[in-house]
Parts: sequence; structure tokens; C-alpha cells
Amino acid sequence: MATVQVSEAEKVYILHGIRDDLRVDGRGCEDYRHMEIETDVVSNTDGSSKVTLGHTVVLVGIKTEIGKPRPMVPDEGYLDFFVDCSANATPEFEGRGGEELGTELSNTLYRAFNNKHSLDLKSLCISPGEHCWVLYVDVLLLQCDGNLYDAISIAIKAALFNTKIPRVHISADDEGGREIELSDDPYDCVRLNVENVPCIVTLCKVGHRHVVDATLQEKACSVASLIMSVTHRGTVTCTRKVGGGSLDPESIFEMTEAGKRVGKALHAPLMKLLQQEESLGRKKQKVGFLS
Amino acid sequence: NTTVICGIKAELANPTVEAPGKGYIVPNVDLPPLCSSRFRPGPPGEQAQAASQFIADVIESSEVIQAEDLCIERGKLCWVLYCDLMCLDYDGNVLDACVIALLAALKNTQLPEVTVNTETCTPVVNLEKRHGLNIHKHPVGASFCVFDDSILLVDPTAEEESLLTSQLTVVTDEAARLCAVHKPGGTSLSGEKLQECISRATVRQKEIQKLIDKVIHSVKTSQ
Amino acid sequence: MPVDTKRVRGPEVSQSPSLFLCKPAKTLPPDGLRADGRQRDQVDVRPVFVRCGLVSQAKGSAYIEAGNTKLICCVYGPRETERKDETDMKCGRLTTDMRFTPFSCQERGSWIQGSHDKDLSLMLHESLQPALCLHKYPHAGIEMYDLVLSCSIRQDGTSYVVDPSYMEENSHSLVDSENQGGLTVAYLPSLNQISGLQSDGDMTEDTLTAGVRTCIEGCFKIYPVIQHALARAVRRAAPPPSES
Repeated sequence: MATVQVSEAEKVYILHGIRDDLRVDGRGCEDYRHMEIETDVVSNTDGSSKVTLGHTVVLVGIKTEIGKPRPMVPDEGYLDFFVDCSANATPEFEGRGGEELGTELSNTLYRAFNNKHSLDLKSLCISPGEHCWVLYVDVLLLQCDGNLYDAISIAIKAALFNTKIPRVHISADDEGGREIELSDDPYDCVRLNVENVPCIVTLCKVGHRHVVDATLQEKACSVASLIMSVTHRGTVTCTRKVGGGSLDPESIFEMTEAGKRVGKALHAPLMKLLQQEESLGRKKQKVGFLS
Repeated sequence: NTTVICGIKAELANPTVEAPGKGYIVPNVDLPPLCSSRFRPGPPGEQAQAASQFIADVIESSEVIQAEDLCIERGKLCWVLYCDLMCLDYDGNVLDACVIALLAALKNTQLPEVTVNTETCTPVVNLEKRHGLNIHKHPVGASFCVFDDSILLVDPTAEEESLLTSQLTVVTDEAARLCAVHKPGGTSLSGEKLQECISRATVRQKEIQKLIDKVIHSVKTSQ
Repeated sequence: MPVDTKRVRGPEVSQSPSLFLCKPAKTLPPDGLRADGRQRDQVDVRPVFVRCGLVSQAKGSAYIEAGNTKLICCVYGPRETERKDETDMKCGRLTTDMRFTPFSCQERGSWIQGSHDKDLSLMLHESLQPALCLHKYPHAGIEMYDLVLSCSIRQDGTSYVVDPSYMEENSHSLVDSENQGGLTVAYLPSLNQISGLQSDGDMTEDTLTAGVRTCIEGCFKIYPVIQHALARAVRRAAPPPSES
């Protein structure tokens, strides 16, 4: 991942600040940076969003396609995650440099969505064993400035909220076979229930405390972080320790507690914001990439 | 010290149009980085590819199992036997070890009974009824390494393999018929030496077959 | 799907016979004993069989068996670094690679390393790294701060199973209950540090916390077994001077 070099003196400064609940940019330990969310940014996707968190910029596009259900679960559709770490974000991703991080990120996303509640996969089924909707979630990192997980998960939730799946009519033809017909009307579409879609909170252990939404400088001072994906009810769908260091059990318990609190609080404003943007409809002024 | 593990997985597939009455046998040899420091992670190297091809040749030429036996319904359904061989400890002479592991695993394979439902054309699998494979021949390999066209060493170790000038593997079955001879490059070998190798290989085949039978028998009685 | 030209290829599609079973697979009874006779809701780890130093070519190796799970591990090195330009020459580097044999699971896997294998490799890397003294040059062995042990649980509603078997891990109970998921903890017992943590499913925070505690308890159960196996390997490599 993109890293910065931090001198010893700077480290001490950051550590002492965090001990006193005051971070270099003036935030408290559990505060996020300024965040901007915009949906419906790429017109040829079925759902898209762009999230800016500090200087981290993430673009998510969702494409829906009709596919064959997985043989073990014939009555459900599925999600397919792909994270593209483009060399735009940081020169380290040039060539195959970003591949490893990309797999790591997409694997964590699979884990976070690996439960029955996140998204109603049964609603994506068209006809059991034969056809289902497949949601291809493509994540593109445009700029890296720390805390990729959180930004990506918020962008995914926003993009899923924005996703429109064309309505499908199944009609039986003469020979008893079934024919699938897509609705021609672009406004005749199904929306997903994203209420239970989790958001990821990354807690970085710095010194004896932990911070939310760490910058690259703060990340350089920490030995390990804990990634948690939290739903709006406060349940945890995925946790994962990342980084080279270890954590003692007590601090893990503290961190999960804080993560749950922060993650739970994230959902209501996000949903409100998304609904607000939606209600603006076509009058909405597009900000796009030049904001 | 060489250790090879062989796992056989059977799956169902449609036979090819060219050979509607035949099943598939897919052998693959893997030399993972785990078994020796000479192998690196990534796609299989030359040696592993050569070994896979060699095992495939042995299966085909020795007729250890006939592809016709794997047919369930002509043109519609057949078995695919994936024979995956993995080396766990590379201490020379993997080819012999692979052939022995494969033979023993095949003898131990039990396939469930499959019938085709005539109405829906889907297969029905009954796990309770199982039967073994029909093993026609028992091919066993014997590897030799040659130093300067004069000294023959049976069953070379990894150290000997790194020093030898030429290598030879002879596979024979119980009727002392020659199934495969594999001599990848190296110095030349005289006809008499080759004869000597073949006669030694037949002796070895008898020993190994006895050993495998004993093992299979002990497995059966312990179950 | 890229075509694998370096291996013998079979037919393009083949399906596992388990998809066509005439009888549905047995489902687990939600309560009572587990399939192998162990207790639910108790730290009941399967007995493990561990041996060290089995692979002759490796610098270090171990084999472990728990139930029907069999795993072999080898350590090779030190090697010359491949990426000379960016490596920090001050410390060593640990690389991990974990893979399943194609015949290890019910469904035949591919020879090509899947994302699951890569995920496990990464998790292994993160769990082991805190215990290794990579800043010291390895001489006779690699110095470690502590052993790394690991334990998993599977939560299903209000009950849980420790050290789940393949069947328990992959069977989803039909009841759509809350609090389902798996949790794996890697733990350094003598330092009381958690070096790896991973969970999925949908669990409340309380369940998660309780689960972590259970896993730590499970790690302590295997600790003496591993210590014993290591001591045995050392004793065999360097037998104590016989008292005459």
C-alpha cells in the first residue's frame, strides 16, 4: 500500500497528540475526515458512486448481468467484486504492483458480504437453477490517502443504493420452456434494499489508543489495525487484523467496541444523504470530477 | 526420502464426439515449492510438465485402466478421473514414486453407482453402492542413472540426480511387457546396458506389485 | 478463464457427483452432540497429531493431523532477495504460500491458486510476522518471540462449535437465525498477544468478544501438544548425553 516515510520526531509528535485525543489535523480519535459522496456519476453503469475522504478518492461502478446461479445455491444471485488499484492512485501500483492489494481488498469485501443479511440475494434470483442477476462491483482507486477500506465500503453502499435492475418478465412459451423478457422502459426497474449493507471501519492502533480514519502519516506510526464491517444494527459481519504487529486481547475488545459505535453511527446520516440526493432527481447539479 | 501423494477425484462429464464410448483420465504431477528448494511458486516448471506427460503416456500405453470402462452411458455421460499427484519431499526419482502412488490409488478407488434418469436426462448418484476400478495391468517404473556410460545406479537420490550424466526410466507390467521408456537427453547408452535395465525393471515390478497387493489387502481387512 | 497449457487437460466441464445425489445430504441436528461425538458450546478441540522434521529437503518442516484435516508445512531459505531495488536490507522478509491439493475438498479444486488460498496465505503471513525476529540474521534457526497458535469457532445462533470440521464449517443451518459466522484467532500464548483475527458472518459485538475469549482458551489447549512435539524433535536431533 502507499506508504510515507515519517521521521522519529514526527512519530513522537503524532503519538503524543493522539494520547491527548488531538490529531495532527485537529480531529479527535473517533472523527472522520471531510467526506463527499456523489451517486450516478458514470452513465453507462447500472449504479455508481464516487466517494472522497480526505484526499482518498474511490469510484465504484455496478454492472448487472444475467448469469447462471452457483450450483450450490441455485436460488440466489451473487456479487462479484473487483478492485482495480490503478497506477493513477500511486506510482507503486504500476504494472502488477497493485494486484496484491486488489486481491486483499476484494477478499475482504467478499467476507463482509458473506452472510444472509447484507443483501437479499434471493431477490436477485430470476428462475432457480437457471438464471439470476449477477452484480459486478468494480472498485477503482483514484487517489490513495489512507483508509481505503472505509471509503470503498461507503462507496459500495452508495452505489448499491443507486443501482437499478431492469424488471424481468418471465413468460412461458409454447413448448413449455421459459422466456425471459426485459422491460423496455428504463424507469421500470427494481431497487435494492441496502439497509443492511455493512460499512467498514478501520481502527488503527497508535500508541496505547486507536484512531478512526487514519491518514498515511498516522498509519506509519501504527503497528496493526483492525478492520470491522458493521451494519446499521451494530452487528459485525467481518473483522480482520491487518499489519505486521500484534494486539493484546483487551485492546481488541476496546477496538471492537469503538468500531461498533462508530460504524453504527455512520449508517443513518449516510442513508439520509443518499435519500436526499435521490429526491433531488434530475434537477441535481452534477459536480463530477472537477469539484 | 521421496514422498508422493496421489488423490483421485471422479467427476461426471460428457464424452467427446470423437470418442463417445470413452471416459477421461487426467493425470497431473505437481512439484510444489514445498518439496524442495529447487522449485519456486508459480506455474509448473519443465520438470513437472514432463512428469505429467510421462504419467499420461504410461496410463495410455500400459492400459492400466481402459477409458471404455469409465463410460456410463454411451455418448452422454462418463467419468473423469482426475489423478492429482503431489510431491511432498523431493529426494530423487519422483517418476517411480509417482507411478507407484498412482497405481496404489487407482486400486483403492471406489466409484459410486450412477444411473441416468431417462425422463429428465439427469444423472442419479447412489453413494451407498460403490465398486472398485477394473485394473487391467500393473505397470511399475524403475529409474536408473548413468555415470559416464559405465556405472548404472538404481533409484537415484536427489544428490545423485544432480551429478549424473544421463537418466533412464523403464516401465514394465506384470507380463514383463515394456510399457514406456523415458530417456531425457544426456549421454548415450549401449544396447546391452538397456537390456540389463529392462530385466532389472521386470524384477522390480514383481516386488512392487506384491507390496501394493499387500497394502491394499491390509487396508481392506482393517475396514 | 485462461487455458492452462502447462498441465494435462481434461474435459472443459465436469461436475461433481455430489450434485446429483439421490438422497439429500444429512443435515446436522441443531442441538446435542456433534457428528464426531464432541460437545457443543465447549472448548472441545480435536486431538492433534504433530510431527516435526519430516521433509528431508526442507530447512524446517511439520506435519499436522486433526480429524481428517491433514497439512504439511515446510520452511526454506534464506534466499537472495528478488526485488533488490526496494527491499529494506535491515531486516529479513517472510513469504508465505498456502495451497490446497485439488483433491483436498469435496469439490475438486483447480491447480491454479484460487483467491481463497491467497487469502489464507495472507492471513498466515500477518499472523506469523509479529512472532518472528526478522531483524536478526538467521543463524542456526530463526529466532521467535513466541509460538503462534490458532483456533477457530463457528457460531450458530446461541450455540457455538470449537475447531469446526469441514462439514460444520460449510453447513448453513436452515433456520434464518441471527448471530451466525466464523471466527479465527491467532494467538501468542506467553506474550498474551493476538497476532491474527478474522471473522465473517453476522455477529453482535458481544458474541464476537466472547468468541475471541473462547478461541484463546482453545489455543491454550493445543499449546502443550505443540511444545511437546517441538521438544521431541529437538531431542531427536540432538540426543541428550547418556548418563553412564
